[in-house]
Amino acid sequence: MKISTRQVLFFLACVAPVGKLILLPARLAEAAGNDLLFPFAMHYLLQAGAVFCALLLAKRGMNFSELLANTFGKIAAKVFMNIYALFLFFAALLPLLEQKLLVQSVFYDTLPSLVSFSPFFLFAAFIASKPLASSGQVCDLLAPIAIAGLAGIFILSAGSADLAALSPAFASGAKGILTAFRNGFGWFYDAAFILPFLGTFDYKKHLALKGTLCYLAGGAAVILFAGIFYGIFQETATNQLFAFTATSKFFSGISTLGRIDYLFIFLLSLVMAFYCALPLQAGVECLLQAYGRRRYLPTIFSVAVCAALLVVSQCTDYRFTEVLGAVGKQLFWIFPLFSVLVPALMLLLRRKRREIP
Amino acid sequence: MKHVTGDLEKTKDALKKLLPAEDILTFGFAAQRIGFVCVFADPITDKDLLGEQVIRALLSYDGPPSAAEIAKRLTSPETKIEPALENLAAEVLAGNPVLLFEGMDAGIVVGTKKVFTRAIAEPSTDVAVKGPREGFIEDVKTNTSLVRRRFKTGELRIETVEIGRRSKTNVAICWLEGTTPAATVEEVKKKLSEIDIDIIPDSSYLTHFLSTRPYSLVKQVGTTEKPDIFAAKIAEGRLGLLVDGSPIALTLPYMLIEDFQSSEDYFVPPYRASFTRILRLLALVVAIYLPAFYVSAQLYKLQLFPVKLLLTIAGSIRDIPFSPSLEMLLVLFVLEVLNEASIRMPKYVGMALSVVGALVLGETAVSAGFVSTPAIIIIAFSGIGLYAVPNLIEQTSVLRLAMLLIAGSIGPYGVILATAFLLVYLVTTVNFGVPLVAPFAPFARRELKDSLVKFNLGSLKIRPNVLKSPNKRRLK
Repeated sequence: MKISTRQVLFFLACVAPVGKLILLPARLAEAAGNDLLFPFAMHYLLQAGAVFCALLLAKRGMNFSELLANTFGKIAAKVFMNIYALFLFFAALLPLLEQKLLVQSVFYDTLPSLVSFSPFFLFAAFIASKPLASSGQVCDLLAPIAIAGLAGIFILSAGSADLAALSPAFASGAKGILTAFRNGFGWFYDAAFILPFLGTFDYKKHLALKGTLCYLAGGAAVILFAGIFYGIFQETATNQLFAFTATSKFFSGISTLGRIDYLFIFLLSLVMAFYCALPLQAGVECLLQAYGRRRYLPTIFSVAVCAALLVVSQCTDYRFTEVLGAVGKQLFWIFPLFSVLVPALMLLLRRKRREIP
Repeated sequence: MKHVTGDLEKTKDALKKLLPAEDILTFGFAAQRIGFVCVFADPITDKDLLGEQVIRALLSYDGPPSAAEIAKRLTSPETKIEPALENLAAEVLAGNPVLLFEGMDAGIVVGTKKVFTRAIAEPSTDVAVKGPREGFIEDVKTNTSLVRRRFKTGELRIETVEIGRRSKTNVAICWLEGTTPAATVEEVKKKLSEIDIDIIPDSSYLTHFLSTRPYSLVKQVGTTEKPDIFAAKIAEGRLGLLVDGSPIALTLPYMLIEDFQSSEDYFVPPYRASFTRILRLLALVVAIYLPAFYVSAQLYKLQLFPVKLLLTIAGSIRDIPFSPSLEMLLVLFVLEVLNEASIRMPKYVGMALSVVGALVLGETAVSAGFVSTPAIIIIAFSGIGLYAVPNLIEQTSVLRLAMLLIAGSIGPYGVILATAFLLVYLVTTVNFGVPLVAPFAPFARRELKDSLVKFNLGSLKIRPNVLKSPNKRRLK
């Protein structure tokens, strides 16, 4: 079964933005202060370019591994697919850890993470072992859920925000904005998801342009949310680690109705669970393209990867700050390398299909 | 296969050997020149009809001993000449007497089957305030007549197959030629022909063989007891199955949204229909998730309750000796037992059961401090909510229990992940080429007009694309 163009667009417009609503706004506000919207916009523009390139590759009608093998041969393609899978597993770590922290802190008053969060790995293994088309199908259901969740959070939060707090612009200076830009790289690699999905969807009528616009529309919603977030918390925004769960709690109706915002938080968390599992599924797909799709291989790869990540997530239970620091300061270059440079360079690969011995 | 010989006694003995049961009777009589033997199954043969259409017609027969000539003399509209003994035995078991006579190497099968039917009545599981009140009954012939009445066209095809090595149950496959995709018809026929089972007591047996995921909790074959719904589904491009002995008809391919639609939706204004469909969905969601939400809020996140409600709940659970999840499971268990008992027990004790259930178990349990009032309210509301979509009760009641167990052990995130699992499972379930959750996934904008919202009849010009009907337009 193939993924439809619409499902790709739904992913870019509705599912991808949800992954940027937990820690990222506070992380960017830490360096950029009231200028946090600028690094957001810069990242979105950069990724939009990468998304455009990645979607253009779909025109060639080949999958990721075939594209590479077409120019560099099978062995080089196999090596690169392994490296790319490793990148995706590494990239999955940050959203996974932040979601774990969110679950522990927001959904539970007291419960060890092993009990509360480890079922996620079961789910991730389940979805990673499914064909990529299943993720496309799920996007059809996730799009309205994400829209409802975001709309609910916006409606409940907007009234409490003082958008004047965002001025004056450039108060943190270029250094602050660039530092925030560097710190945010760990959250922006959406174009990297598209590459393993190549070949599962057809290029139809300006897909690259439509996809880029959808991605930017999702980005606009995230930037709007970041503005509301800073407008509510201002200087204390850096302490608000779980942005989308914090902005709506000042809604006046909550005292009488209770935390109705949790309804929307649950909806967004449902979408986030898929978003966090997606790099794992994409990584497993890279491995399958490298080693072939034999009978139990998808299950073996997905279970092995998820088990490894479970161990890593348990080991980094109290070292999240260090992970965040390492991703933001030392390893940030990995993300644009694989998610921006690779799709852009792949446009230079041989266009016509050749016989591969 | 053995055949009838010209020797009447030998043929009779051979047939009796094949049918040794006590209720298979033989009856001999003589016409002017020929001796006849009639073999029939006593309980299922209409003996009045047999006397009228066969014996009376033959008593004065003095023509040649030829099966064709004798068959012409019979006044029964259903006669068949059959030489194979095994086929004759099967006909006797189906209620059709077999007529044998000296010197002839074939038997005559006469269609004087006794049909036991109840009157056509409104089905208790599918009640509509507005709209037709007819319901299917256990006789497949009556049921096909109810369908035929709605299609005065030769395009309605009804093909009967026999399934079950011992029961030889008649299954009528109904479809509209040129509207139902030929591939679906062929696939259903193929699947039915592959069934090798001894008996088919009810149509539900067939659903196992017609599902892509036979061990799944998720329903994959549509069911209805109403001929108007059955006809509407066939007219949309689906295929229907009527099984002898079962008042529940099957329709294929099935989409989950079908069970949120009721026949009445098409007879009331679309605004009302849309409202009730959304209400059914909300009721179902609340029914599945409310007990789980209550338990996980109590155990893991009290903030989810508004302060005043929290104080009320705190007051009512103060002296309860059980944990919230155990308490909820207990109340759910009682509800399920009451539900099960009220369906099965004789009607005259129903009132007593209501009193015991409502007063003794409900009120007394609360005043004794075994369970809290909020737990009873939540389970009661959830129980009512499930019945908003009665065709999915088997599935949703299990889901509710699963969500409750997950909420009690893993908490709210567990419920979210279970929902995620469920979504993936639902979107990947495809039966006869039709996705279960269409038109939502894959999303089909045009087909939303008759999904959770119901547009005016004038807007429903095209048949659902997902059914791949070769005849797209239904309204010009």
